[in-house]
Amino acid sequence: MQKLRQSGTLIGFVLIIAFFSFQLPDTFLTARNLLNISQQLSMLAVVAATMTIVMVMNDFDLSVGSMASLSGIVAASLFVNEYSIWAGIGAALLVGLVGGLFNGILVSVVGILPFVATLGTLTVYSGAAFLLSGGKTIFGRDIPKSFSDFSRGGIEVGSIKIPMLTITAGFVIFVCWYILEQTNFGRRLYAIGGNREASYLAGIKVVKLRMLAFALTGLGAAVAGLMYASRVASANPTQGAGLMLDAIAAVFLGMTMSKQSEPRVIFTLIGVLVLGVLDNGMTQMRVDSYVREILVGLIVIAAVAVSSISKANR
Amino acid sequence: MMHKLTLNNVSKAFNGVPALNDVSITVLSGRTHALMGENGAGKSTLIKLLAGVINADSMSIFRDKEHIRITNTIDATSAGFRFIHQELNLVPEISIAENILLSKNLPTLFGIQIDWAKVYRKAELALEFLGATHINVKSQAGVLTSGDKMLVMIASAFVAEEESSPYLYVFDEPTAALTDQESEMLFSAMTKLKEKGAALLYVSHRIDEIMKVCDDISILRDGVLVKSTEIKNLKKAEIIKFMTGRELKDSYPPRTASMSSKKTISLRNIETDYLKGITFDLKAGEILGVTGLAGSGQSSLLKLLVGVGKALSGDATVLENSLAKSPHDAWSKGIAFIPRERRSEGLCLEMNVRENVVLSHLKSYGFHAKPKLEQSDVEMLAGQVKVKYNGSHQPVFELSGGNQQKVLFARALKGAPELLLLDEPTRGVDIGAKYEIYTLVRELSDNGCSIIISSSDLPEILGMCDRILILSDGRQTGLLEKCSLTSGDLLTNIYSSDLR
Repeated sequence: MQKLRQSGTLIGFVLIIAFFSFQLPDTFLTARNLLNISQQLSMLAVVAATMTIVMVMNDFDLSVGSMASLSGIVAASLFVNEYSIWAGIGAALLVGLVGGLFNGILVSVVGILPFVATLGTLTVYSGAAFLLSGGKTIFGRDIPKSFSDFSRGGIEVGSIKIPMLTITAGFVIFVCWYILEQTNFGRRLYAIGGNREASYLAGIKVVKLRMLAFALTGLGAAVAGLMYASRVASANPTQGAGLMLDAIAAVFLGMTMSKQSEPRVIFTLIGVLVLGVLDNGMTQMRVDSYVREILVGLIVIAAVAVSSISKANR
Repeated sequence: MMHKLTLNNVSKAFNGVPALNDVSITVLSGRTHALMGENGAGKSTLIKLLAGVINADSMSIFRDKEHIRITNTIDATSAGFRFIHQELNLVPEISIAENILLSKNLPTLFGIQIDWAKVYRKAELALEFLGATHINVKSQAGVLTSGDKMLVMIASAFVAEEESSPYLYVFDEPTAALTDQESEMLFSAMTKLKEKGAALLYVSHRIDEIMKVCDDISILRDGVLVKSTEIKNLKKAEIIKFMTGRELKDSYPPRTASMSSKKTISLRNIETDYLKGITFDLKAGEILGVTGLAGSGQSSLLKLLVGVGKALSGDATVLENSLAKSPHDAWSKGIAFIPRERRSEGLCLEMNVRENVVLSHLKSYGFHAKPKLEQSDVEMLAGQVKVKYNGSHQPVFELSGGNQQKVLFARALKGAPELLLLDEPTRGVDIGAKYEIYTLVRELSDNGCSIIISSSDLPEILGMCDRILILSDGRQTGLLEKCSLTSGDLLTNIYSSDLR
């Protein structure tokens, strides 16, 4: 039963790939399309990987989408006022870090449920993005060319060019994996997720660590926002909106694959790939994007249902 | 006419550890039957079986000649069993009347609209039966004092029922939260129930109270019925002996090293939100027992020493320092703590043995995780405390209670603590593992570790501790040298300190 749960997502993933390869024999399983998928997915991968950090503690962050929008707007606004690229990027990352820390303070120090606290900041950060941009998309000459060129670039490996966004996502995933799986910091986060009261009584600084974890998630959202702004060479106060649900969906999907249904960065990545491949394949098959939304929702429910049922059966 | 409720051959084991072993009791209508025993003797298990909350491995119940089957709580209710639990389970946001009628359908007009007049009347009648007429059934339950809350809880068992009249009332430590005056109200209500022909099963730790209100008595010890008779046949001292009568001689390892004179703890008149007048010294290698009636502040005292909560006044020196500011602070100063609720406060159940043992000591492994090193450390410690497991990668939820407790001991030992705080260290632990835990505690003490054990298991306190601190309602009411104390002396002390 547990084996079936653990391998179910992977089997589903293989079936999806097989289905699209069969339906789209000429276009789907090509290096070009796969690289394209990896680039399309890179923002979601970054947000989902950093979302894993808070979800390890049984918390979650609903504000990542609007934080991504806000970070793009912050950078673009600075560009408009002729600040350097590094100033723009630095400010955007700082906003992510501080915004995330604020989430952490609300959840950990004040003690508001993560759902309520980050629902509140979701609105706050989104409002700030609209306020800062005047509700308009910032684009064109205001965005420095070298900023948008980043996402057009890549590293040549033999005959293929790996996009910079893919490399960035890979780097972030590696850092998250390293933090969560290879450091004692990460081990403490898993312990907090396992039993917060026991961890506290065992001498873990629960309040501080939860704050830090939220700060990292906020930072991840800001990175994704910058990647997005670079890719479309513009910043729009709603452009991160879809990230939050997909990121949480990816983590939940990944959780079905781990032994005790705990989030793992590697499995989150598979969750991201499932969503990305579905997206890409269905777009190519000209399936209505609303159908995709229904499908994603159902997948999340199925994933969580499987985890809950297997826990209840113990 | 007199009815007879017979429980035959009741047995129940949890994870292979027997909680009740072939217990048979007969309860007569029109009489109050006391159920006594120490914590862990099996009283709560028996009540839960009667209530259908858990299912027995074997049990047959007869009402006179009629066989009664109980597999769930609905069966228990329709058999005419009513339960008054010791926990306060009121919903504070709704009215007292609704709380009293919570388990029943509210009376309605035309089957739809709630007939509030009738609701209030029914609740008032139930309270009147108890003599608690000072409670306004229309106000919110949250505003009640704890004594009144208990009265409301009790009253909910007395709501008049059209369909069937209750046959057995089970009282589980009903007076724990009541004043003497409120207890008297309960006792006269119990007399009225008896006159109506109901059978009453009464659980309490208060021997004097039992002797006063009960007609018959059954005493459980370690899951076995040791005595069942009319209460007039027994004296108080005999009851205590039946309750605690296990052989103490060989079960507690004796001290082998002499205590040093080095002081590790010195508390003077410590006061917190809940505790008052806590004053004691502790020497290196000394074992202090903390005991009292359930919830008298034992856990608060241990938690204060591990850095949870603050002292409002008084002087404290702990390991040549002030009180720990947080559990983190405590562990890094050499204070180890094994909490009372090992599943909710001690362990990350889904994580493995290794991760649980090193949890408090991750700092000593640096920034980068070192699973290999941890594993060899943990295997050594696990061997030392004799954990039975399939390897340090095994999740702790798969271990038995005793082995889970040993995992916590391994965690505590890891830092070579100077002060070890144990809250009910052998609760839910089988006899064999208990002895291993005692041996471990003795070894630590012989090596100079100061130990505080909070326990409601009196033989354990007497067998292991050098001195015994008695708490009552958060106040230190005694600090006894063990020397020649017996279980009975200690019980007398605990109960007399509770007289108000």
